[in-house]
Amino acid sequence: MSPQPLTGFEQKIVVGLAEVKVSNDPHVTLSAYALGSCLGVAIYDPVARTGGLLHAMLPDSSVDPARAISHPGMFVDTGVAALFRAAYALGADKHRVIISTAGGAQILDTSGCFEVGRQNGEALTRLLRQHVLTLHAGQTGGLVNRTMYLNMATGEVRIKISGQGAEEILCKNSTIT
Amino acid sequence: MQELDDYINKVKNLPPAPRMLPELLMLLRQDNVDSSRVVQLIAFDPAITASVLRLCNSAAFAGANPASDLSEAVNRLGFRQIYTLVAAVSGARALTPSQRGYGINAGELWRHSVTAAVAAQLIARRQGDDESTVFTAGLLHDIGKIILAEALEHIYAKLVEDSQTQQAALVESEKRLLGVDHAEIGGRLLTRWKFPENLVTAVCFHHHPEAAGPHQRLASYVYLGNMIAYFMGQGYGHQAFALRGRAEALEILKLKASDIPDLMIETFDQLQTVDTLLSAA
Repeated sequence: MSPQPLTGFEQKIVVGLAEVKVSNDPHVTLSAYALGSCLGVAIYDPVARTGGLLHAMLPDSSVDPARAISHPGMFVDTGVAALFRAAYALGADKHRVIISTAGGAQILDTSGCFEVGRQNGEALTRLLRQHVLTLHAGQTGGLVNRTMYLNMATGEVRIKISGQGAEEILCKNSTIT
Repeated sequence: MQELDDYINKVKNLPPAPRMLPELLMLLRQDNVDSSRVVQLIAFDPAITASVLRLCNSAAFAGANPASDLSEAVNRLGFRQIYTLVAAVSGARALTPSQRGYGINAGELWRHSVTAAVAAQLIARRQGDDESTVFTAGLLHDIGKIILAEALEHIYAKLVEDSQTQQAALVESEKRLLGVDHAEIGGRLLTRWKFPENLVTAVCFHHHPEAAGPHQRLASYVYLGNMIAYFMGQGYGHQAFALRGRAEALEILKLKASDIPDLMIETFDQLQTVDTLLSAA
């Protein structure tokens, strides 16, 4: 059995709206609260034990190029790029990282005017295809508001749905043992 | 009507009516209002006065020197800003508690309401409409949930199931299961609290603003403010995103779907204001 991090030293770091955060500290759990239609993207390199979490609000940075520079995490396209760059700086390797996603809740809309949630999910799919990357696990769309946690010690990604008590595991254990 | 009143009367701890708001809104609509009348009205409630002063000296609103009394605060920030603070302080108590029937934790309905109000207000400002009325409607749009949460506590599983199997909006499932929905209950509550008709109607029709008759514009601001709050993650509870897209709300305000990202980014820029107003709770 691998040693567990000491309780009391565990640190929840909030990844706020439009933020990207990375870590290689096993005591840290990165947390993106109340994603709603926003998209959470987690990456984790189980060898370097390094990874990060993105909390993006909109699919495409072309709506506001200045903002894409000041807040790359606001958009899925610039946010994913920023997430990978920041994780590389901590030693993550593109071919080892395990990618998971949650969020992208989509309201009941037949008008096509209110599809931010669906578009966020599609933007990620497109981006991964372009870069020939594989999505390991995902729980997107639907009518629920999710919170996403990435445990830096184990690489485990958990989801909590608003209104429900228990957390569920999205991506079990990314650590190679 | 009786059915709505029955639900309201059943609630054991109804929050105190935000009595000051209808009166203040009436003052706002007049030209050349003497600020001492405004101060007088607010100062009548010392608890609200103290909270307003605290907020007005917080980071998002404070100038170089803190305002030491209410009349100084009104002079410095202007009546409209002070009104926003009074509305936040008045709404906080009612909207902060958890609403278990909806699966909403303490503070979540308040956060949702403030975000919706700030978003609705900035759209109204952009379109040159009365932003204080819009802010109030945005802030109180879900007030009916505090009434229905009790009734839903024992049947929320049915509500979730109905929404899931029918692909129904939560407001539609409420109507099917309870005979009433939170929007009409909210409107009725505001009538009983002596709010003006435009606010009552806007709250009542915030899920289908095209049906709000002469108050379509106000209802549309609330609809879009509500939607933007959701798009920023600020919508909580069971089936939180079970609501319907209404393109009519955009048409009524002469906006396009492509304006929504801008409105979200503008709301994002107001998050410091949102946080300050949240601390009213």
